[in-house]
Amino acid sequence: MYPDKNPETDQNLCGDACGTMPPCAPLAVPYVPFQQTGSKRYAQQDALQNGTLFPGLNLPFHAKSQAVKALGGPLAELQALEFVLNELGLYLDTHQDDKEAFTLYQQYAALEKQARAAYEAANGPLTQSATANAKSWSAWLGDSWPWNYQEGGDK
Amino acid sequence: MFFYEKKLQYPVKIANCNPKLASYIISQYGGPDGELGASLRYLSQRYAMPYPELKGLLTDIGTEELGHLEMIGAIVHQLTRNLSEDQIREGGFAPYFVDHTTGVYPTAASGSPWNAAGIGVKGDVICDLTEDMAAEPKARVTYDNILRLSDDPDVSDVIRFLREREIVHFQRFGEAVRLAKEKMDQKNVYFTNPAFDKSR
Repeated sequence: MYPDKNPETDQNLCGDACGTMPPCAPLAVPYVPFQQTGSKRYAQQDALQNGTLFPGLNLPFHAKSQAVKALGGPLAELQALEFVLNELGLYLDTHQDDKEAFTLYQQYAALEKQARAAYEAANGPLTQSATANAKSWSAWLGDSWPWNYQEGGDK
Repeated sequence: MFFYEKKLQYPVKIANCNPKLASYIISQYGGPDGELGASLRYLSQRYAMPYPELKGLLTDIGTEELGHLEMIGAIVHQLTRNLSEDQIREGGFAPYFVDHTTGVYPTAASGSPWNAAGIGVKGDVICDLTEDMAAEPKARVTYDNILRLSDDPDVSDVIRFLREREIVHFQRFGEAVRLAKEKMDQKNVYFTNPAFDKSR
């Protein structure tokens, strides 16, 4: 099972931005190095800003490398936590035996639950079903649609 | 099934309108390598995929792409808010305007409406995953090109995020090919197509 386990290879010899490859591989099939377990990670806000949880996969384009914008507003923390869950979820899809990553997923899921409850209590429901906790259905219909410029709606 | 979440994956807050830039960025809504095609490609490939973890990966990336589609729609919408008559005529936006006003319509920047010919669902494990490995860099290059053309830091910031997601997805699809290959004929992965030849 991947990632490749080669007892003769010291994992530390392979840097964080590198992955494992089989020593010998059949022809005529594409190969991408497997991301190693225990890869370095960003904190959630940095992960969201960089578009990946993993520094080893952060490969920016040279043009327009303006300073990364600081994300703010009441949604930013929830978005960051959900981003980490999404990113870890994709990682776990191809690394389902990585127990450490799954434990991390569980920890972030608990944080996300808290952040979602706090956001919805202050700003209204994010889903139809959460609208059951609101005073009326208008909480779902409020003009906080996310494509509006202002978070929480154009006022 | 799907439920809607009333928020974006990454914030889109564009201060200034810029119809010219919108007329390029619309390509990632409905162009050949855009987010609509990406989501439909992965979500449609799931049915023939025989391996549970790769059904999961196609589901999870396909769902994320729907979130990216919404972000691109938000960018185009915000770049075309409250346009003056002069702004409508500026920068080549008029042809789009005459057909769609400032509605968000799935079309390529070059004018062709969204077309399923830009995506592949072949019903073959290696073929579909290789298609996906090619699709992610094509979207990434489109974002590279938008970054070259963008003169608005608010827009570039979001495009930079979306571009990086393409790189992560490429990595996962590459890993997916290797996971699939492990379950296939070790001497010749092309001996059968496990998406179709169930009994072999």
